[in-house]
Amino acid sequence: MDHEQSRRSFLKIIPLGILAGVFASIGGAAFRFLRPKLSAASESWLDVAPVAELTGPQPLSRKIVAEQIAGWAIDTEEHSVFVLPAKNNQVLSAVCPHEGCEVAWDQNTNRFSCPCHESYFGPDGTRISGPARRGLDPLPMRIQDGKLQVQYIPQEQTTRA
Amino acid sequence: MTPPIEKAREWLEATGGIVAVLLLVQFVTGVLLAFYYVPSVDHAYTTVSYVEKVVSSGAWLRALHHYGSQWLAFFVFLHVIRLFLTRAYVSNKIQWVVAILLLGLAMAAGGTGYSLPWDARAFFSTRIAEGLMAGLPFVGQMARLWLLGGNDISTITLSRFFALHVFVIPACVIAVVAWRMFRSNLAEIFGYCHAIAGGVVFLALAMWSLKYRAPLGPSLAAMPVNYVPRPGAQFLWLYQSLKYLPGGLGSLAGVALPGIVLTILVLLPWIKRQRLIAGTILGLLVVLVAGTTAASYLSDRSDPQTSRQLSIQAAQEDVWRREPFKPAPITLAAATTSGEDPSGGAPVMYRKFCANCHGPNGEGARQGRLNFPPLLDVSAKPRRTVNDIVEILKDPPAYGLSPPMRSFTDKLTDEQMKEIGEWIVKLKR
Repeated sequence: MDHEQSRRSFLKIIPLGILAGVFASIGGAAFRFLRPKLSAASESWLDVAPVAELTGPQPLSRKIVAEQIAGWAIDTEEHSVFVLPAKNNQVLSAVCPHEGCEVAWDQNTNRFSCPCHESYFGPDGTRISGPARRGLDPLPMRIQDGKLQVQYIPQEQTTRA
Repeated sequence: MTPPIEKAREWLEATGGIVAVLLLVQFVTGVLLAFYYVPSVDHAYTTVSYVEKVVSSGAWLRALHHYGSQWLAFFVFLHVIRLFLTRAYVSNKIQWVVAILLLGLAMAAGGTGYSLPWDARAFFSTRIAEGLMAGLPFVGQMARLWLLGGNDISTITLSRFFALHVFVIPACVIAVVAWRMFRSNLAEIFGYCHAIAGGVVFLALAMWSLKYRAPLGPSLAAMPVNYVPRPGAQFLWLYQSLKYLPGGLGSLAGVALPGIVLTILVLLPWIKRQRLIAGTILGLLVVLVAGTTAASYLSDRSDPQTSRQLSIQAAQEDVWRREPFKPAPITLAAATTSGEDPSGGAPVMYRKFCANCHGPNGEGARQGRLNFPPLLDVSAKPRRTVNDIVEILKDPPAYGLSPPMRSFTDKLTDEQMKEIGEWIVKLKR
């Protein structure tokens, strides 16, 4: 009796074991298959605008075009930035440090406002109010052949606050 | 005769039938949408526009899917409250656990579905999903990378959201529902009251979807700088809460806390003080969700600038709907396998604005009746110097060119036009 019972429970284990083996081997491959593919941070300098264009007291909205290999695709991405001619052409990323929406410059109230969760920033990018915990992030910049250039830093290298 | 109190009870229990019908609607409409949708950043928006504007009944089916997802979240929540009131966590543990799991899955499906059209709304919702993941304690950066499939949001991210939305989450829903069905009497599930309640709710959803179109924001290329995004009704609570919470706390409120709440509710049949715990959680949920949802409506109405912008956007969407659908060319990758540099040496701006119609290497394309001329050997023709090409980019009619060729003065600087012109005159057959 006892012998018969243990034989039966052993037979039950075999199909379960095979099933577990199948899933474990696919599972291991699936882990590697789905693992995010990191591309090296781009260190190229991207044109913002000729320096001669950058004048006036207001922050100027510009788009920079970054090219990145993302998986199988060559991704041409536009990123919004703001140039502050009043602050020695400092360049701010338009990505809100709260949850990553893109802020817009509001001339009437003289501040940056985030369209998502109502964070506000002064004309120099410092935080005024709202859920964001810090001001807009400045990007590394340089002037080359009369053109203002920046390096675009994706969000992951900065932290959300 | 059934006593009236029994009858009333039967109708109260019909929330299950409503959930079943709404789930069925999501599956059927979702499968239908998949016949046209392409999960790639260069075609997602075009294919959704095509469903909205061209495919017969496309707008209605997409509205059913869009509003159905919001109604589903609402009715699953109502169903959970009904089960709490009838103490189902004691009498029918499986029914209770299944309902809680469905609530979580309905929200997950809604969250992943938002990104799929890849319009302006999707752009913001994907950024928020990224931000919520990144803000989680300990696992934040890792969770973010796995969700995006790389360092930054890309077409790989869209594929991931698509696979989750269309395969992983529906498979979980099927498993959960199958578990429920095998463990109970089918006649009890598909009772008379269930069927009628489900039918009535479907009729209401069908009429609602005839009257209201599912929203589709502008494409990313056409997104105005002052675009104001708003999420669907089932996420307004989260959207409003994020206004008060900085990054890390937002992630706790939007991801960790809902996870903990659902886990406690799933385990409820096996813990003590059930009535007190579930009553407190559900009571707080009702108050918080209703409160924050109302607050988000009120704050949009009370801020004149926001409410004006929202009505401008609604008007622009109406205008967009009346415009005829513009087919998008498909550029096969064959040209890039001929051993040359995959970028073909074309200027970035050419690839961004011109390559879609004239081909990545200037070879031209044909789209139905539209013929996009090749640019190869174009410099051999009269009036096609670099300066001429710059002028064409500014004012095509002045050179006798007709739409779909359009002016790019609002998109390109003089310098970029010159760069494109200098590249085009060098193209040879």
